[in-house]
Amino acid sequence: MEALKTIRPELLTLAPDQLRALSPYLFVFAGTLLAILFSAARVVKSRWPAFLIFIVSSIIGTVAALVLLREPPTLLFNGMMSSDAYANSFCVIFLVSAIVTAASSLKYLDNEELQQPEYYVLILFSALGMMLMASALDLIVMFIAFELMSLAVYMLVGFRRNDRRSNEAAMKYFILGSAASAVLLYGVALLYGATGSTSIRGIFAYLQAASGQGVTPVFAIGAWFAVLGFLFKIAVVPFHMWMPDVYEGAPVPVTGFMTTGLKAAAFAAFLRVFIATGYGSGVSAVIQNHIHDILWVSAVLTMVIGNVIALTQTNLKRMLAYSSIAHSGYILVGMIAGPLSEQGYAPVFMYLTAYAVMNLGAFVILTSLAARNDGGLNLHDFSGLSRRHPWLAFSLAIFMFSLAGIPPTAGFSAKYVLFYSAIQANEIPLVVISVLCSLISVYYYLRVLVYMYMRDTPDEVPVRRRVSVWSAAAIAAMVILTLQIGVLPARIVAAAKKAVTSL
Amino acid sequence: MNISPGFFYVFAGTSILFSLLVILNRSAIASAFSLLVVFFSFAGIYALLDAHLVAALQVLIYAGAILVLFIFVIMLLNVEQASFDYKRGRILTGVFAAFGAFGMVFLLGRVFRSGSAPLQPGPFSPENIQAAGGNTRVLSELLFSEYVLPFELTSVLLLAAIIGSVVLAKRGVIEKKSKEAK
Repeated sequence: MEALKTIRPELLTLAPDQLRALSPYLFVFAGTLLAILFSAARVVKSRWPAFLIFIVSSIIGTVAALVLLREPPTLLFNGMMSSDAYANSFCVIFLVSAIVTAASSLKYLDNEELQQPEYYVLILFSALGMMLMASALDLIVMFIAFELMSLAVYMLVGFRRNDRRSNEAAMKYFILGSAASAVLLYGVALLYGATGSTSIRGIFAYLQAASGQGVTPVFAIGAWFAVLGFLFKIAVVPFHMWMPDVYEGAPVPVTGFMTTGLKAAAFAAFLRVFIATGYGSGVSAVIQNHIHDILWVSAVLTMVIGNVIALTQTNLKRMLAYSSIAHSGYILVGMIAGPLSEQGYAPVFMYLTAYAVMNLGAFVILTSLAARNDGGLNLHDFSGLSRRHPWLAFSLAIFMFSLAGIPPTAGFSAKYVLFYSAIQANEIPLVVISVLCSLISVYYYLRVLVYMYMRDTPDEVPVRRRVSVWSAAAIAAMVILTLQIGVLPARIVAAAKKAVTSL
Repeated sequence: MNISPGFFYVFAGTSILFSLLVILNRSAIASAFSLLVVFFSFAGIYALLDAHLVAALQVLIYAGAILVLFIFVIMLLNVEQASFDYKRGRILTGVFAAFGAFGMVFLLGRVFRSGSAPLQPGPFSPENIQAAGGNTRVLSELLFSEYVLPFELTSVLLLAAIIGSVVLAKRGVIEKKSKEAK
């Protein structure tokens, strides 16, 4: 038996290229610490220091991640974390959604009298957790990152402390989220028992070695628990019950952040574990078929139930929450098709990007229109919006077109690529169901347009709110990105391919 | 060194029994004390596995610090009885839950009995650890070399938790002040 080597000198120092690879995380974490210090000091009018530090550090982090995209992948900390194109592209998504969320929150928090510098600190913490989730190669690291992200989001959901709905949402999310984390952790423990390793590479090596005789039952059940933990976090149908309540209770910008950043992070980590536990790697046909069937059923249920319930909603926030369940279903279609089509998992990445852009845009608009306590978001409040806020109505129309998947917007090209890969994978019934489901969604997305453009303003005219410069800039950026991905999708497709091939 | 199966079953049985008591007890204090027994039996299991340091830490940190915190919270909130009723409508839910729990136990039982292929041993067997200088040394060395990333991340996680709890608690003070001013 080989002796246990506990201290390996090469692990105690960081080489310059490793330090460079860590730079996005270091910038974001440095920003977090500075923001904490400034919010504790409260020297100036309290919101500005934290907000500006937030914006600067996340922009620097985004730039660092973009620069790192050109460099070869680096393994860090004994292979527990990797800085590859996959992780860095996801970092860009997370940081951009954090920036947009913070930009739209500035005025919103003033209106709600919730302005607390810690709000920005918590968003930075959860963004850091998301970035680590996408780059973790070890299940222990992934779990801690997962908790870091979730813990900060629990606080954000309960940020409106005087509102019972917000309290209930935070409590519910906290208890159910902890239960899901426990299931995930139990799965990880069983995987360790079955394979002797918690690292994704170690588990994968075990699978390849055992490919002849199939996997042990302990491995199978461990993989199951891990997958269930993730399915809960991305809220696909048997595990979606918590989602609408939480989305409804959370402050609007936080809901936007959850549907984009949090969902993308859960998918990012899920995809890594998913491939490691045998799907799409072609090592075990049994697991492949097994997981394929379960995901198939789950995807169909998710799409149908998410869309049908969204159809009956008259509140825009609730509608977007349910339709976010439906979008998870489309992404699952991409995951099912992934290993069997030419593009691999690239459509999944592309869809996540497009969804993040258009949904963030829609939520920034909701944030700037929300009345006190998140009222004023019912459909009839949007009647005649095109006369009161022509530009907001126009942007919201673009996001709705995009969410419904109508060209020339990001939603269309993402859906096109996704369904095309599913056809290549010979999943014809699945594609038919998903196209029918997205037809249903056209109804409720375009209904918003009907209200905005074809109805008169209600008698009691809501006060015309000024939209803050930050929100306007965020909306403009999201509109441009939505159209850009829609009209010229080649660049994002190439980026998605690059990201996914580095897995 | 081999584990004595008898002791293992004693500790495991105690921990399962008292875990059930934790959730079934109506009084919060009784639940907390059942949890104390659970922590101690875990420490026993760790000691049987030759992980003496982990056993000691389990007693010090969980049974000592964390449980005292729980009891403080219970006493500060002054929860004597469960403040919610067990309604009759919940019976069906209870039946489903019991059904699910037994299904789970059955499934896990089958999985571990049919596990003819041996579990993969990790690198940290008692002999290896003995040869490398004992529990404390191996643990501390690994914590600062191989597992430095999870270790540091845990401190980030705790920082986030502290900030979060300060946010929630501090605002309470401000609200009270503004009410008193009115």
